[in-house]
Amino acid sequence: MNWTWFHKLGSPKWFYELTSKWLPWLIGAMVIFLAVGVVWALLYIPPDYQQSYTTRILVIHVAVAGTSLAFFPLMAVAGTITLVWRMKLADMVAKNAAPLGAWFSFITLATGSLWGSVMWGTWWEWSDARLVSMLFQFFLLVGVVALRSALEDNDTAARACALLSIVGCINVVIIKYSVEWWNVLHQPSSPLSMSGESANGPEFWVPTVVMIVAVYLFFAVSLILATRNEILQRERKAAWVQELVSKA
Amino acid sequence: MSQAASPSTGHAFLATLKRDLVIAYKRKNDMLNPFMFFLIVATLFPIGITPDPERLGEISAGVLWISALLASLLAMDNLYRSDYEDGSLEQLLLCPYPLYYLVLAKNLAHWLVSGLPVVLVSPLIAYMLNLPQEAYLTLFLTLLMGTPVLSLLGSIGVALTVGLGSRGLILAVITLPMSVPVLIAGTLAVQQTLNGAPLLAYLAIMGAMLLTALTLAPLASAAALRISVN
Repeated sequence: MNWTWFHKLGSPKWFYELTSKWLPWLIGAMVIFLAVGVVWALLYIPPDYQQSYTTRILVIHVAVAGTSLAFFPLMAVAGTITLVWRMKLADMVAKNAAPLGAWFSFITLATGSLWGSVMWGTWWEWSDARLVSMLFQFFLLVGVVALRSALEDNDTAARACALLSIVGCINVVIIKYSVEWWNVLHQPSSPLSMSGESANGPEFWVPTVVMIVAVYLFFAVSLILATRNEILQRERKAAWVQELVSKA
Repeated sequence: MSQAASPSTGHAFLATLKRDLVIAYKRKNDMLNPFMFFLIVATLFPIGITPDPERLGEISAGVLWISALLASLLAMDNLYRSDYEDGSLEQLLLCPYPLYYLVLAKNLAHWLVSGLPVVLVSPLIAYMLNLPQEAYLTLFLTLLMGTPVLSLLGSIGVALTVGLGSRGLILAVITLPMSVPVLIAGTLAVQQTLNGAPLLAYLAIMGAMLLTALTLAPLASAAALRISVN
């Protein structure tokens, strides 16, 4: 098998040039999907017979929540690459993924609370496993960000955060299951189940899919832009960056 | 080849354990502080929440577990700190034994000094907090199996931050969320025993956590130490 593509990934310059070509397309697709998704979700979804208009919040909530689950696996994979191959690029991606992931988790909690305040009659419900485990995912991501900012040496910070991301990724799964187990015992039949959602027809799930694609594109674009910034900052002494900056 | 002269890994494990215990014995105050901290935090709850025995009884298991968690976190700072500062940690990393066993020995010594006293005194505090008597055994056994897990998990966080000047809060931010499953299993075991559930199931789960932590956490700690000490 030809592994040159993998070694090329280690070159920040190659990544920068590649994403320069991709970005216009990605941003274009993101704008279209976001515009369609947000307008459709927030203005045109018919009211649910039980949940009335609040389902519109859920479309955004589900999309953001789904994406926020991708951060720890992403950071764990990037961390493994950092630890094993010492690829600088993997760390640049991981560094920017952590705060982004914390924001995604926060937005998930916020939109979930907004929906819950109407549908459940409460902003916060300890007996829902998803809420609690999302909160701890948020805390763990904040921990990674805090460790990164505390360690001054770039190389040490990269490897320390890589390790913490791998440990955190395993831990999120354990927390998820233990919180679920905790709740099953506390409250055998949860009145908070979202089974109403699956009963919905295409007028609900089509905009949800559009929104999920939109949020994933937003995630990709944000991460790529942040990583490009990071590349320019860390490689500021490299000839190609100097050339790029002097041209602009 | 001086193979015959160099002691086995088992000897290295015991030597590290003994060294840490001797150091702890010579610094009795360091030993006493987490213990006193545990006692004081546990007694703050009745003052802060309610002196009503019934309500205290309901929350006592959680109070004890959270106090033990905080005491373990506080004691963590001693784990690698002084060794890092006087350079003996570097020697530990350089010596030709698997770091896994040496880290395990250090964690074990640390737990014997800071975790075990807390576990031993927990029935007394449980009595003061009016925990129903049926739950004493459960509480004691889950703390006995759970506090080593807290030490092993905390060790990862300490190892990652050992090079930092001020790290008290960052250690808490990293370590506390990781301890949630242990806290859940521990308090749930006590509550469920009070509801008449069999004890063995919770001990099995606690035991599974302990074994997982014993096998994996020292590996992560060892890797973290190698990262922190260049």
